[in-house]
Amino acid sequence: MSLRRVFESQPHRRYIMFGGKGGLGKTTLSATAAFWLAGQGKRVLIFSVDPQASLSDIFQRDIFGKGPVPIVQNLWAEEVDADRRIREYQDEIRKKIRDMYGLDRVPEEIDNYIQAASAEPAMEESAIFDAVVDIIVKGDYDYYIYDLVPLGHALYYLSMAKVYDEWITKITKLREDMRQYDQMAATMRREKVLEEDQILNELIYIRDRINASSRILTDRAQTAFFFVVVPEEMIILDTKRAAELFARFDVPIAGYVVNRVLPRELIQASIPEYLRNRITMQDRYLKEITATFGSQILAYVPEMERDVTGLPMIERLAERLFGEASGPEGPEPAGGRGAP
Amino acid sequence: MTSRWGALRDLLYGMTGYEFARHAMQIRHELESVFMVVTMGDLIGVPVLPPYYSLRLLPYVVPQIETWKRHMVRRKELWEKPEYDLLEM
Repeated sequence: MSLRRVFESQPHRRYIMFGGKGGLGKTTLSATAAFWLAGQGKRVLIFSVDPQASLSDIFQRDIFGKGPVPIVQNLWAEEVDADRRIREYQDEIRKKIRDMYGLDRVPEEIDNYIQAASAEPAMEESAIFDAVVDIIVKGDYDYYIYDLVPLGHALYYLSMAKVYDEWITKITKLREDMRQYDQMAATMRREKVLEEDQILNELIYIRDRINASSRILTDRAQTAFFFVVVPEEMIILDTKRAAELFARFDVPIAGYVVNRVLPRELIQASIPEYLRNRITMQDRYLKEITATFGSQILAYVPEMERDVTGLPMIERLAERLFGEASGPEGPEPAGGRGAP
Repeated sequence: MTSRWGALRDLLYGMTGYEFARHAMQIRHELESVFMVVTMGDLIGVPVLPPYYSLRLLPYVVPQIETWKRHMVRRKELWEKPEYDLLEM
């Protein structure tokens, strides 16, 4: 099956992720897929939460922290500014405390806590997590393309959904238990109906959001995760390991895209030994990739003559990747496929 | 008449429900401490996993923080209670 066929035959898989080690072309493939889908008339949002995101670079526009920015018709790109999000959130909490208790300023101890909590690395992680939840639970685009940070982090985010899910479910249950004891005491004392527990309401709100995103990310019917791999030994080994880990976290792996494949026709031309060796090496690893991932390989993407930045290059790559002739047929081995 | 009934009702409550209600409130209080640790633990040095979400609950627990911290300091483990003191036995 080709990448195009995957999108066409499974239109309900609207949450798309390309994952792989750093520098393999995740952003390039994400942008290319987003561009192609937008061209098919789908409303697409491509987004990143990486503080060093490259969407601004690939689209050659500064979109960092500006919300969804229109790129071409039907295509929006967003780079989340986590730091700013945390700052605004802190102010929101402070304001809520002042309003709730009619204070002019937040008590020092509480304010220190807000500041200390925000300085922790875990705060940035959970804020980023919430930013993703925010984007995906709204559901107002046809496709969401999540430009992930490298593999280890990707897995971390995905597993976070599972861990937060358990945390929130447990404390919501605890709060409900507390409520029951309140209720019991109130009944004994023949008191009126208890007032609403606002904390429980907040917990239920948080739980529903976390549950929803956790469900989406692991739902095979809605989410497709593509691994990006290049014909190099270390990358293949790493991808195999990552695929096993991902499977353990129920990440719905949809297939593999082989990137950076040197054009085989070069071998016919007079090329330096250096390049010839690279092609022979790639041949060896391409065979290994085919043997390992077999029918799960959806595309072989050629190494372009220049880096992919700017819309004209993205368009050219989209044509190669999704055009009528695109398919998972591997490149002709250097020695010729049918060579005796 | 009403006050007599009221007194009788209070008496019955004192004989029956009072203990239950007190016990329920005690358990409720213990659960409150656990709840505060798992949501606001950072305040007493216990890291909380998603601080972003625990901060969302902070405004609601502002009045309880002082009492809770005092409770955590004075809290005695089971074996620290006088009835389990081996020397006194």
